[in-house]
Amino acid sequence: MIPSGLSDSIAGVIADAQPCSHCDSSSHIAGGLCVGCLLQAGLDPDDECAADGLVSALAEISLPDKNWRLGNYEILEEIGRGGMGVIYRARQRHSRRIVAVKRVLSYHSDSRETLARFRREAQAAASLDHPNILPIYEVSESDDGLPFFSMKFAPGGSLQEVGPALRNHPRQCVALVAKIARAVQYAHGKGILHRDLKPGNILLDGRGEPLVSDFGLAKWLDTTSDLTRTLTIFGTPGYIAPEQASGSAAQLKPAADVYSLGAILFDLLAARPPFLGAHALSVIRQAAESPAPKLRTLSKLADRDLETMCAHCLEREPSTRYPSAHDLAEDLERWLEGRPIIARPVAPPVRVWRWARRNRKLAGSLLSILILASIGIVSIVASSRLSSIVQEAEIAQRTIAIMPLEDLSEPSSSSSTATPFFNTLTAALKAAKGVYLRSLAGMPSDRDPWSPEHWKQIGHASQARFILNGSIRLRQGTQRLVLRIIDTATGTVIKTWLSDADSSSDVAKLLATQLADVINNPKRNLRDSDGLLLMVNGDVNSAGGTDNAEARSYYERGKELHKHNNFRDLVRAIDSFRKAIEIDSAYAQPHAILGTLYGLMALQPGGDWLAQAEEETATALKLAPMLPESRLAHGEILARHGQLRASIDECVTAYELDPATARIAGKVGDSYSRTGRPDLAIRWYKKATRREAQPLCADMLGDAWMDLGDFEQAEAAYKIAAVFRPDLPATAASFARLALFRGNHDEARKQSEMARSKYKGDPQPIMAAALVEFFTRRFDAAEQFYREASAFGRNGGVDFPGCVRFTSALGFLQQLSGEGASEGTALLQESRAVDQQETASAPENPRSWYSLAADESALGNKEAALAALERSIETGWIDYHSMNLDPRFDSIRATPRFQQDIAQLEQAVRHMAERTKQ
Amino acid sequence: MKPDASATGGRSPERFATTRWSVVLSCADPNLGEEAAREALAELCKIYWRPVFAFICRHGRSVHDAQDLAQDFFLMVLEGSLLKRADPNRGRFRSLLLKALQNFLNDAADKRRARKRGGDVQFVSWDDWMAEAPSQLTVSAKAVESWPAERLFDLRWAATVVEQALRRLREECESQGKLRAFEALRSCLGAEREDVSYPSLSQTLGVPEATVKRLVHRLRQRYRSLLRDEVAETVADPAEVDDEIRHLCGVLAAGEKAS
Repeated sequence: MIPSGLSDSIAGVIADAQPCSHCDSSSHIAGGLCVGCLLQAGLDPDDECAADGLVSALAEISLPDKNWRLGNYEILEEIGRGGMGVIYRARQRHSRRIVAVKRVLSYHSDSRETLARFRREAQAAASLDHPNILPIYEVSESDDGLPFFSMKFAPGGSLQEVGPALRNHPRQCVALVAKIARAVQYAHGKGILHRDLKPGNILLDGRGEPLVSDFGLAKWLDTTSDLTRTLTIFGTPGYIAPEQASGSAAQLKPAADVYSLGAILFDLLAARPPFLGAHALSVIRQAAESPAPKLRTLSKLADRDLETMCAHCLEREPSTRYPSAHDLAEDLERWLEGRPIIARPVAPPVRVWRWARRNRKLAGSLLSILILASIGIVSIVASSRLSSIVQEAEIAQRTIAIMPLEDLSEPSSSSSTATPFFNTLTAALKAAKGVYLRSLAGMPSDRDPWSPEHWKQIGHASQARFILNGSIRLRQGTQRLVLRIIDTATGTVIKTWLSDADSSSDVAKLLATQLADVINNPKRNLRDSDGLLLMVNGDVNSAGGTDNAEARSYYERGKELHKHNNFRDLVRAIDSFRKAIEIDSAYAQPHAILGTLYGLMALQPGGDWLAQAEEETATALKLAPMLPESRLAHGEILARHGQLRASIDECVTAYELDPATARIAGKVGDSYSRTGRPDLAIRWYKKATRREAQPLCADMLGDAWMDLGDFEQAEAAYKIAAVFRPDLPATAASFARLALFRGNHDEARKQSEMARSKYKGDPQPIMAAALVEFFTRRFDAAEQFYREASAFGRNGGVDFPGCVRFTSALGFLQQLSGEGASEGTALLQESRAVDQQETASAPENPRSWYSLAADESALGNKEAALAALERSIETGWIDYHSMNLDPRFDSIRATPRFQQDIAQLEQAVRHMAERTKQ
Repeated sequence: MKPDASATGGRSPERFATTRWSVVLSCADPNLGEEAAREALAELCKIYWRPVFAFICRHGRSVHDAQDLAQDFFLMVLEGSLLKRADPNRGRFRSLLLKALQNFLNDAADKRRARKRGGDVQFVSWDDWMAEAPSQLTVSAKAVESWPAERLFDLRWAATVVEQALRRLREECESQGKLRAFEALRSCLGAEREDVSYPSLSQTLGVPEATVKRLVHRLRQRYRSLLRDEVAETVADPAEVDDEIRHLCGVLAAGEKAS
């Protein structure tokens, strides 16, 4: 039996549904599309395309939605969109009048009942005729049968935008809300509730007069993206009455709108709605369970009567609020006129003062003239403010909000010059014509500051069209300055400046001139000037892009595949990038990313990947020297050549050019990690994590904590990595090393065994197992694992934690066994030869020196071993745990120099760890 | 000191294709933002409430009761009981949600009957919730009568997945000002190639047939990406996507036969 009322619970039911001829399923969605076939369609992962691919295909058809007519209106552009509706700016055909047209999105039009309801409500709203209600001109239906309505186009923005400008002017706020309340009362009189009054629904005309929009229609056209975004679900709880969240819509009373009016007044005066919360649930719960906060605790300018009136609107129990919007309007007007409000009787002294305000002349003889004079001045200033709202919007268009520069210098550098530069720049900008300044505090550290949405919000909150931010870094005696300007209308960077000049004041002045140019004309392209500044425009070419859609779609596909992070897709990604270059050889982005990828492949034995990596990187650098990915690829090459300091510099440069991409910050962390600075590495990994709001570098972070000897932090990080990247064998192997360093050998063995069975055929768990056995001196087992590992590349192992070259370990172990001693020595000598070659070509790489030291020690050359060991420590080797455990150091372990080295390292690492935790 | 990548590659901070469900699972670790997990879970609940509701209805509850129970259930889920129980080995969102729902209904049978009604704050406006992503699923009457609740749950789930992918595809087209083109091409998505009438589409869209074919191809590819994305959001590991889709296909097919 079918339970009743199933329409939206299980499904609509069709008595004799026809099974699909292809898949036999008889379940369909709107338009008669078969659910089974639509699911099946998802099963071929090889045949996907990125959003970009669709965009370029769509560009080929000449049936755009613009020049699109809806009844008598020519659609000009989309200006808003909500859960169910879309709003267009449109032109009425004969009158040429510009209007706003709203309609239900066509995919909500599947139910006839829904459409009928929309139409009914729109017609009801159109019957409202009040100077403070946004007029609806026409309710009609387009050719495709979808209802829409046209209304006055209010270009003045909403209370949400101009609210902040009114904040310090309680009288204006009250006057505004009184007008709104009158309008709401008028609609109530016609039997229409608004149901969703909030600042975003109160529009302003050119004179600053409020126009209430969307009467009874808000649920169709919820366009407030900010609330739906941050409060995730269930509507817009900041302003709705608690009973609205619980009761059915049909039972709502005018008191619900009264509540919302109070919440709007509260928001105007206190700069926030009465209840805040991380999610809708907590907001609604608070509104239902606790009284609203006292207005005067949040607003210094509010008096007791304002507090009383707000509180009266915000009563939880509807029947104890103002009985109607009319009563609220009256009370607000009483307050404006200085008469006692009804909401709560006030104490006698206050009443006298009010009377004095009302009857100024008479009161003059009774009360202090001084007080009255000051009230008069305030009101004159305030009334001129109201008319300047429009002007303020104009000013916001030319305002730059300046953020403090991010200091990227290493802590050891001499003191930063950020502040003097900042001051010169600010002074120069203040002098520039047509530019207004506002300073912004730094970003909250726990949020991703780099999404376009976030910039839009900051622009909105600070009333600034532009944001200036950037970084400063002391670098080989010069100062690297990077500044970028962000357009908060779009949330995108429109220009970046980079300078390595010595004189920061020249740079500041030049920058100020150029910034003023940009602000006065955001579209104009500037040229590089005087070699002082290097500029990157927001266009495709300087960003290493291409105009060729096909090439771009290959590139995008490659990036998608690259994300999968497995070998098969990596090969496919490389193929895709190559195709992009075949189509457009001047397309720098794929060149650069290929440079990086080949650089990573070069880590594997065999093949001439490094040469290819160098070639691609050189091409990318030539085509787009300011492309972050080019710099990153170059950094990778430098690291491969052991030029670790230069590699850090290139990675940081990439970050300076693109602080938005978390991966780049992660790369900087890696480059610091290579030089024995896990403390700095952690700083950068955290930066990366903040950018992504995800534990992007968790495994590397774990390694850094291991280096710092903080096993708890390391374990926590590895656990996170294991959850987020269960596909990475390296993390599983890390748990084995962790247990090993903690001295828990059984656990270490168990972990390495688990890793091996989970990631069969991967070298990482085998190397981990070898390390565990070798360091715990179970030599037979160790030998077996190292043999297994050396199948992946005879000379591998140095880049794995512990830094044990396979040939070196096997040589050492054979030496021990007695019978193969001479073979063992030969292997050790072979390993030493490789190390010697590497230390000669890459003297900055501590791993090469460390490996050499271990070989020399195993060969019994104590002096050479100690010398190499000390070079490795000088260049940044800090892993004293491995030194303590590695059997190859047995021959020098007892020497005072070795013990002293260990003690010094321990101390240095402890200091570093303490600094990091601070 | 420490290296970046092991001798044989594999360790690098690149890409973190995290799914919503993996964010939720990550909450098993207290070091991670619980807020992020809660938001991810809320997002998932918002998308997948219909299967829950259908399941409760199928258990013979009136629509009104089912609404109340679904409210309570989501409240429980969002307030963290599910988060606490989520652990990386627990698998997919769909199965965990169903399991939690079954337990919840067992409990509810004893406790909630005793609880007096009214006074509870209702957090979800059903009108709004339904309006957020309207659905128009039709199934055969026979199927609704004879399928077990679990299968209806999965059917509703399957429909939600495809509807959600279509919704996103439509939005992408609309953002390019090509909603009308989408409307014209929509029916091609579920159809076999030979069933598509290219000449008539060519006329509607005002482009040669070859272009229409290319466009249909791209639209299908994009739909496929979006569908897979949608499914990927509910599993812990992207490698499970195919499996999950096959499971849902299986439900539809097996269900038909059973009916």
